[in-house]
Amino acid sequence: MSFDINTIIYILEIIVGGLLVGVGVHFVPVGGAPAAMAQATGIGTGTVQLAAGSGLTGLLSAGLMMSVTDNIWPIIATGAVGAMIMMDATMLTGSWIYAYAVGAPFASAKVNYDPITKFSQPPYVAPGTVGQGIPTVCFVSGTIGAAMGGIGGALIYYPLVQINGNPAMSAVFAIGIFMVDAVLASWNIQGTIEGFHDPKFKKWPKAFKSCLVATVILAVVAVLITPIGGV
Amino acid sequence: MDAFGMGLVAAMGALATVAGASEDIESDIGSQSNPNSQVQLAAQVGNPHRIYNKAIAGEPPSNALWCTTAAIMAYVLIEGYHMPLLFAVAAGASLAALFNGVMATSAYLGRNASQARFNQWIYLDIIRYTTPSIMAHAWITSFCIVLISVIQVYVLTPHHPFPIPVIAIIWGLTVGAIGSSVGDIHYGGEREFQWRLFGQGLNTMLSGQIVRKAEAGLRNSIDNAWFCAKFGGPCTGMGFGLTVFLDNWRTTVFDPVTQAGAAIAMGLFFVILMNLYNFYCELSARRKYGPYPGYKGDIAA
Repeated sequence: MSFDINTIIYILEIIVGGLLVGVGVHFVPVGGAPAAMAQATGIGTGTVQLAAGSGLTGLLSAGLMMSVTDNIWPIIATGAVGAMIMMDATMLTGSWIYAYAVGAPFASAKVNYDPITKFSQPPYVAPGTVGQGIPTVCFVSGTIGAAMGGIGGALIYYPLVQINGNPAMSAVFAIGIFMVDAVLASWNIQGTIEGFHDPKFKKWPKAFKSCLVATVILAVVAVLITPIGGV
Repeated sequence: MDAFGMGLVAAMGALATVAGASEDIESDIGSQSNPNSQVQLAAQVGNPHRIYNKAIAGEPPSNALWCTTAAIMAYVLIEGYHMPLLFAVAAGASLAALFNGVMATSAYLGRNASQARFNQWIYLDIIRYTTPSIMAHAWITSFCIVLISVIQVYVLTPHHPFPIPVIAIIWGLTVGAIGSSVGDIHYGGEREFQWRLFGQGLNTMLSGQIVRKAEAGLRNSIDNAWFCAKFGGPCTGMGFGLTVFLDNWRTTVFDPVTQAGAAIAMGLFFVILMNLYNFYCELSARRKYGPYPGYKGDIAA
């Protein structure tokens, strides 16, 4: 392949995509295993798994859109919307179980009042737990995080297809870069976070820097690889 | 928009709902995901049990593995040997179920053998009659997901540019992520701790004190599947079904070439609707259950 100004733009797009994934993970309200026992606020699973689930659903939508158009804006937007739909459907059905099976009112243990609804939180936190369920602020934060993950995934996928013209290989590479950035961000938040209102959210610049370093290396490698036989 | 496409999207939604439900029940019978931390802990705090224990990996990677295994076999049979689609998908799912059975058995033996010092036994009857149930549910999940991938690649227009195994790995990750976020709460938050006060999360002091007796005799994982199939499984199915259906519905109703803006706007509409619905759930739970009686702080409810 020839190394020209377009290649640099592609590398920059991949880097921006990776950074969006890295920062977006901080928005997703994950409570890890304790949340599955209604012992912590947020979604009861791991950060990377949830971010990957939503971001890659966005990647599927973006891949479909890219097969019919070359315009970058609808591709990015549809990636974001696909990821948001997955994340919201997950959080909503999870909320049904918190509200109607476990029977716990939603409460965050990190703030006294929900920044969006202004509902008081501490009276609703069960003894011996650090909150439960998915309050509105966490839901909105998760939606924003999913959108960033979806945009990030689409931004990584788009230049790769432009370079090698092979959707399958580009998708696998995009999944790989996505996972690297999601794992780095997950280490930064030590497994659990409630969303943008959580004090841990202030640590995002650290993840930003480490994702930048990791994605620069990955982006350079990614744009150099072409399929065997130049398919 | 054509009627055939809409029918296919509806079929994909139905398949996804079944896949989500069977995925969650599979993880509940095997006690695989987040709630398994309590099952592991139970023996260590003096509560040996007869619950299956197969935490091979998190649900998303393991389901991605089953679905991709099934998809690769189906892909080879379809492309290389020109086999009928349904036969190829069923054969692929059978291979995935066999992989699942091997890993489930080795995980159960390994995990429980390592807890021998806590008086945790390996029950051969549990292996004999629980493992086939786990494999059967893994078969259903892989079958449905590979069929969704096949529909997306070969039948639904516009055809998806990714090959079947790549779509299967993504849907496998997604169904695992939803199963571990939704269905696990019903198993971990409700079924494992049924004698705590209703209407609160699990107090940290009760960690590891899982329920070990059943309606009759000692509780095993089949009892857990019976319970979780009533609400946790269907909710997971609904979550994954909504994801697959809504995401594909908007690009089928609106042509992605000429009406891309409308497809995106429709997706945003669904997102806003779900945000509002969650707010309603929060409001109704707060109204119904109220604040905890023992709260001594100075913030008004």
